[in-house]
Amino acid sequence: MALIEVKNLVKQFDDKIVLKGVNLELNEGQVKVIMGPSGCGKSTLLRCLNLLVQPTSGQIIFRGEEITRPGVDVRRLRRNIGFVFQHFALYSHLNVQDNVTLGLRKIRKMSAREATDKAFHELERVGMFDHRNKYPAQLSGGQKQRAAIVRALAMDPVVMFLDEPTSSLDPEMAREVVSVINKLYLENVTMLCVTHDAFLAKYISDSIIFLDEGVVLEEDIAERLFYDHPNPRIREFYLSVVDLK
Amino acid sequence: MTFWNILRVLASGAGFTILVTVACTATGLLIGLVTAMLSRLHWRPVEIMIAAYTYTFRGIPVLVLLFIVFFGLPIVGIRVSPFLSMILSLGLISGAYLSEIFRGAMNSVRREEILAAEAMGMTRVQSFLYIVLPQMVRFSIPGMINEFTSVLKYSPFAYTVGIPEIMKEAMGLAAVTLRGLEIYLAVGIIYFIIYRMFCMLFATLEKRYRIPGLSAD
Repeated sequence: MALIEVKNLVKQFDDKIVLKGVNLELNEGQVKVIMGPSGCGKSTLLRCLNLLVQPTSGQIIFRGEEITRPGVDVRRLRRNIGFVFQHFALYSHLNVQDNVTLGLRKIRKMSAREATDKAFHELERVGMFDHRNKYPAQLSGGQKQRAAIVRALAMDPVVMFLDEPTSSLDPEMAREVVSVINKLYLENVTMLCVTHDAFLAKYISDSIIFLDEGVVLEEDIAERLFYDHPNPRIREFYLSVVDLK
Repeated sequence: MTFWNILRVLASGAGFTILVTVACTATGLLIGLVTAMLSRLHWRPVEIMIAAYTYTFRGIPVLVLLFIVFFGLPIVGIRVSPFLSMILSLGLISGAYLSEIFRGAMNSVRREEILAAEAMGMTRVQSFLYIVLPQMVRFSIPGMINEFTSVLKYSPFAYTVGIPEIMKEAMGLAAVTLRGLEIYLAVGIIYFIIYRMFCMLFATLEKRYRIPGLSAD
């Protein structure tokens, strides 16, 4: 049974249909990347999957439970999904350690001691322990994103959603973040990642979902998707974004 | 009577001045906070009521509202004590200004941080308490200091309804001694000292809760 199964998902904002019947599956331990041109609905799809955006129609089945039915416990669902935002979304008034422990104390109901121990462990895991007392405004972009990943990871989610985790970073900082994501990949953390980063898509994913104008055009591995794909739309896209030398 | 003696006599009314100022500011803060929070619900009827309140009370002079409450309400059978009249009138006007200050500060909290809290599984109340409120209060501090200063400067109106604060003491003393210049100069000095004391307190609070890297150090 798939961890997440999406059937014919549609999302409409006023008169604009952003997702036009998306189908996808994600299994436990799998890492899938969603790619596609800007405005094709990648981020909307990710936000629909943890109900930050309410889908217009279709089904999302998470661990065998349909979460698109009325009356579903949205907060319980979200506690199982770690979400990393493009612009980090760290709580500006809290230092890195408190950013990590807040959810543990208020949502997971851990004691301050337990939450701190857990935060220290997770911060060590991504090399952010020495920055634990810094505030978001005192961190570089790469450090902010690593802190955001730790914050999500510390909650022991079943799956991690990453919404363009490297898009707002310069190449050097992006590599910092990619190496953390790679570490999670090697640890078999289940992830669904929206990205434009061809390197991340090629080396740190089991398959790539290509989304265009609200529909999944193709799902395949990088080797087949990136080079001379028979679909001209996909070929054109990868010619413009992939520099794999 | 030396200038020092005048200062000592007037200082006896300073307690009431501080009491009136703190009570009116506290009332204003409570009203401002509640109305700013209600405005986040985006319910049309509530929004209209809040808009009507802020527009109305920002447009009425404190003294006029004080007289309506203290001298006007007894005509319809509602007797309000001098102290409560002062708190109601100045508190309501201050609340209208603080409501706008808080609303602006709330809007300054990045939407993505609230979204991150929700994505984590926080309730709306939790995200308000742990994400919005702490930032909102910090962003509001300069506006709150400004409003507190206004309230302090409006507090002498309390003498018009018989509260024995500095101004009332000064008028009584001036009537007896006919040394208006020294007496009112002393009043000015006492107000300035109270103002500076509170400014120092606020500056300490502002420094204590400054967000490193975000606020100007």
